[in-house]
Amino acid sequence: MIRAELEGKVLSLISQLSTLKAHELRREQRLREDLGMDSVSSMELLSMVAEELDLDISVEDAAGITTVGGTLELVAQHYERSA
Amino acid sequence: MLASASAAAKAPEPDSVVAALCESVDRFCARHVRAQEIDAAGRIPLVVIEGLAALGVFGATLPAEHGGGDLGLVGAAELIETLARHDRSVATTVGLHLGLGTRALVEHGSAEQHARYLPSLASGETIAAFATTEPAAGSDLSAIGTTLTEEGDLLRLRGQKAFVTNGGLACLFTVAARTKTSAGAAATTLVLVERGDKGVVQLGEERKLGLRGSSTTGFVFEDVALPRERVLGALGSGQAQLDRVLAWGRLLMSAGCVGTAQAALDRALRYTAERRQFGKRLDEQPVVRMLTDGMRARVAAMRAMVRAAAATDGETLARLSASAKVFCSESAWRVGDTALQLHGGSGYIEDTGLALLLRDARVTRIFEGANEVLLTQLGLLELSQRTTFAERTAGAVHELARRVEAHRQRLHEEQGVRVVRDKLALYRLGQAVILRDAALAAERTADPDLARAFANDALRDAVLHLGEWP
Repeated sequence: MIRAELEGKVLSLISQLSTLKAHELRREQRLREDLGMDSVSSMELLSMVAEELDLDISVEDAAGITTVGGTLELVAQHYERSA
Repeated sequence: MLASASAAAKAPEPDSVVAALCESVDRFCARHVRAQEIDAAGRIPLVVIEGLAALGVFGATLPAEHGGGDLGLVGAAELIETLARHDRSVATTVGLHLGLGTRALVEHGSAEQHARYLPSLASGETIAAFATTEPAAGSDLSAIGTTLTEEGDLLRLRGQKAFVTNGGLACLFTVAARTKTSAGAAATTLVLVERGDKGVVQLGEERKLGLRGSSTTGFVFEDVALPRERVLGALGSGQAQLDRVLAWGRLLMSAGCVGTAQAALDRALRYTAERRQFGKRLDEQPVVRMLTDGMRARVAAMRAMVRAAAATDGETLARLSASAKVFCSESAWRVGDTALQLHGGSGYIEDTGLALLLRDARVTRIFEGANEVLLTQLGLLELSQRTTFAERTAGAVHELARRVEAHRQRLHEEQGVRVVRDKLALYRLGQAVILRDAALAAERTADPDLARAFANDALRDAVLHLGEWP
């Protein structure tokens, strides 16, 4: 899967947990303050991503993510590692 | 101007101040509060409200500069426990006012908001309420449908709220509503609404299983126009405020559960010391002793847990208040049920007061976050926990903490972040976590014999929750 396709999938998952559409999401947006997520839903997001893309992401790594860009980076790193 | 450092972060108020207030309240309640009459009438007599107001109860946690007593969470918890030993409806009315009703205003209100509202809230002339639950949004706060939209210089509030405690008494409401963030996503905002605002419609009193003296109503907000000055903090900043306000609310509710459990224990001890069966006093019989010893140990653990949580702040307070809420509400039910059982047939009769204790206690397992939801969240929080409690403990507490940590590690290794969606695993872990938290608190502050007895019970229960056998 190319990077743009991977990011598209992740943005689509983020939009399912936010009231914004995938094309309205920006890398610098904060999951909590800008997208209205709480600590539970931001962890849920990474869990959904791990399941959807069959990635092994640890809880510690997921807990450290605070932005849309951070989510995309973390997923890209794990995807490359697993490829 | 934002309120400065939180009251809970301050040094605890002197014990003598809290003790003096609680002693006065205890004396007043013994003379004037009749729980069964309040239950039968479905309301708290005005003389009780006015008497408590005169003692400074409604201002206990509000800033001294506005007429309050400036108590932090430790003192407030002791006050609510004292009230709950006499009547849970009274404790709930006051606890809601001091916690959910006024906390966001105290901590996030502007100087103008403080000057406008706090003096009459501190004197008890105005009672506060908190409106967040909706017909379609209970423990899931992300489902709130009430909206607060910007319309020129004004804000417009539209929606419906359900189960508003103090709804029939309150004149000031902290309302949770959805607004847009700067990014355009939905966010939560807390806004102050006055009873007299045009478009605020109160619905009828709910008929409830218990807490009948505490008012519970719904509200409809029909295009209520509010000045921007009513917002607490900034638009969209409500989620973080809610986390903190809920921590206060949950902990004061937990303190009420300690009062209920202590009242049940006192009755059970009195009754078993007087009643004779099979030629012996009940309290001389081994099974009865085992039950009352278990109640004593559990009540000590409940109180220790509330005190331990109340002395913390920030994320630790948020976590421990949820843990205490679940543990104390489940324990109050369990202790009350055992007390009723020990009374035999008479326990089932309303006149002994135990049926009322149980009816009043039941809702605490539901409101301010249903226990099942909180247990799942506590399991999730435990996964991010880095502290190893087992190292600093001994005996059954050590074994309990060690098992929780081993289970956590196993979930990490087997599922990684995917465990976040395994709600059953999180729920089971949460059950063990609250027992560990209670055992740790008891080990630190309760009588050593009671703490040890509780830890043994807790370890046995936790093993079952985690699906392991010793």
